[in-house]
Amino acid sequence: MIYDLIIIGGGPAGITAGIYAARKKLKTLIITKDWGGQINRASEIHNWPGTRVISGMGLIGEMTEHMKEYEIEIRKGKEVIDIDKKDNIFTVRDEEKEHEARTVIIASGKIPRTLDIPGEDKFRGKGVCVCSTCDAPMYKDKEVAVIGGGNAGCGAAIDLLKYAKKIYVLEFLEEMKADPIIMDKLMKSGKVECYTNVAVKEIKGKKFVEGLVYENRDTGKQTELNVAGVFISVGMMAKAGFAEKLVELNQIGEIVIDKDNYTKTPGLFAAGDISDIKYEQIVIAAGEGAKAALAVTDYLKKN
Amino acid sequence: MVKVYSTPSCPYCVTLKNFLKEHKIQFEDIDVSQNEIAQKEMIDKSGQMGVPVIDIDGQIVVGFDQERIKQILKITE
Repeated sequence: MIYDLIIIGGGPAGITAGIYAARKKLKTLIITKDWGGQINRASEIHNWPGTRVISGMGLIGEMTEHMKEYEIEIRKGKEVIDIDKKDNIFTVRDEEKEHEARTVIIASGKIPRTLDIPGEDKFRGKGVCVCSTCDAPMYKDKEVAVIGGGNAGCGAAIDLLKYAKKIYVLEFLEEMKADPIIMDKLMKSGKVECYTNVAVKEIKGKKFVEGLVYENRDTGKQTELNVAGVFISVGMMAKAGFAEKLVELNQIGEIVIDKDNYTKTPGLFAAGDISDIKYEQIVIAAGEGAKAALAVTDYLKKN
Repeated sequence: MVKVYSTPSCPYCVTLKNFLKEHKIQFEDIDVSQNEIAQKEMIDKSGQMGVPVIDIDGQIVVGFDQERIKQILKITE
């Protein structure tokens, strides 16, 4: 079985590409670990035209149901680990199986950046958190650290203000990057201390997190902080290593595309946050998915 | 007996509860943000501190793992 198109990723870009491809009657397979990624954590979306307000999970649920109205094959719960091309046919491999197609759209989005330090994985869910809106209430009257002094990190600190006794915000660069309005709110609380120009080296504990070690980046001096929670908020990253043989990646690991979503390999397209387009918005990702599916349609007519 | 340990602001919790309602599964909703005893109970049961946690007759699932929850509750679509 050779598909016309395999779509990798089930977020706004991938699902929209799926709807467009199915309407063009392309024999399409969509492979995704899950429906939606970053979008699932948005509690309210106010800029999806036609819907005044909807939750991220609500919107992705609607999109998925919409796509399922069409004839499209779905492989959910699987992660793609490799793509190769031979004699004009792409082989897309997930953990279990290989699939073949004449074209591929990569729309696997971005995932939260990790620190890659000891303790980070071991204590995930045991004091290491990435969802402050979910888990902040678990840290009532406790001391916690937030890693990342941007808007997202300081936003996490704001979620924690209501509960935690003390919040340390640790920023790698020399200055906090969050908007002044957010910083004011944190500073006024009297509960927040910010450390800049520091690198977190280790998260420690027994069964649950008990502390962390950070290093002053100028002096190299290491200090231990006793905290029960570590909220990591150091941005998002593109993870396109599975396609590296066939695409050009920019400095931050995004797939380089042209204005019609072509990568450097004919027949291989990318759409949404995994690509090097500048703005990352749901409506833009959906539009990019549509563009990629239309570009695929044109490509298949010519090839 | 189905128990859901959740916090009000957590999007995954809201989705989990809506999912159970859609499938007409009765459950006890426990807001751990207001209840430290329940918090401790949830941590003891699941060995971790993230919400949501669902307890289905003693079987514990962490997070909104739709496939596993469907399997345990024998929901077929």
